Amino acid sequence: MAHGDDTHETGHDDLHPHAPMVEEITDFEVLEIAVRELAIEKGLFTAEDHRHFTEFAEQIGPTPAARLVARAWLDPEFKRLALEDAIAASRAVGVDWLQPTGFGTPSDFTALHVLEDTPNLHHVVVCTLCSCYPRPILGNSPEWYRTPNYRRRIVRWPRQVLGEFGLHLPEDVEVRVEDSNQKHRFLVLPVRPAGTEGWSEDQLAEIVTRDCLIGVARPRPGVTWNAVRAVRPAIRAAANY
Amino acid sequence: MSEAQGQNVSAVRIPTLDRIAARGQVWARVAEKHGVTNPLPPWQSSLDGMCDALDRNGEALPLLERRRDEDLLSQAMYSALPAPENQLVALAHSLVARGVIEEETLARRMVAVRTRLEAA
Repeated sequence: MAHGDDTHETGHDDLHPHAPMVEEITDFEVLEIAVRELAIEKGLFTAEDHRHFTEFAEQIGPTPAARLVARAWLDPEFKRLALEDAIAASRAVGVDWLQPTGFGTPSDFTALHVLEDTPNLHHVVVCTLCSCYPRPILGNSPEWYRTPNYRRRIVRWPRQVLGEFGLHLPEDVEVRVEDSNQKHRFLVLPVRPAGTEGWSEDQLAEIVTRDCLIGVARPRPGVTWNAVRAVRPAIRAAANY
Repeated sequence: MSEAQGQNVSAVRIPTLDRIAARGQVWARVAEKHGVTNPLPPWQSSLDGMCDALDRNGEALPLLERRRDEDLLSQAMYSALPAPENQLVALAHSLVARGVIEEETLARRMVAVRTRLEAA
């Protein structure tokens, strides 16, 4: 581009304005850096370890788990593998469960189990103790999964809590709540919904949302992201816990 | 074993963190103020990385203690903060209350970090 060119003179920023940014340094940003630096100086972890784990946290998501379910719906052999050896099935959709970061995350060095739903059996996953979650294949847990509200109530009143997510199960459907722990992580294999006959693996994977894989939703044609859940008043007050 | 294991970390007040919580520069507020639509603060993944790195260390603040403290502190002391701000402040609180980091050291480092970030 020649000097004096009008486009050049106008300047890049005028043609492609920057997206807005937070133009202030918050206390929380400062706190996060300060805690991290002190932890590194005290030898609790290295800066390189931190960078690895941060990269891991940024690249994980529910896509591999959705693909695992879609493939299991289409391929009976793969479904059998998923139910018998979920770690091998996980590897087949691109996640090495035993080395998810490439250098290990001890909290994720656990057995993975795929829980098969049937028309009369519905699974839902929780971690009552903390927030164990199959992160390598499903990404970071949603905030509500970490809350004591969900963790305490889903095991005591599963139908009520599922109802709060907009999932109302008939009485003849048994609900099983699977409690994760440091040794075992779970993933729900939902029933393939009607109306998806002839669909490709890609099409099927699109309707297997994160919430379906936890078990607080069921896949439906046309729903390709976690549906906004209905807000309902609590039936039991907190004082009754 | 950490110094304060078995103790109730919510019995420890940490004025440095109280001031941060009271000032309330939470992401939702500053993002709206500056017209930013990203729902999560940019330091979120770094916080996640820090928690994983601490879990891997396993001794300074074991996973279950960290999560138990987080549950307790998020409800008892920092309930006005949303996630992930409450997670970050609870982590800092745990490390101070359990004697891993001294509050004065943390306060000094925060001043130094801010000075560095605001340098022209």
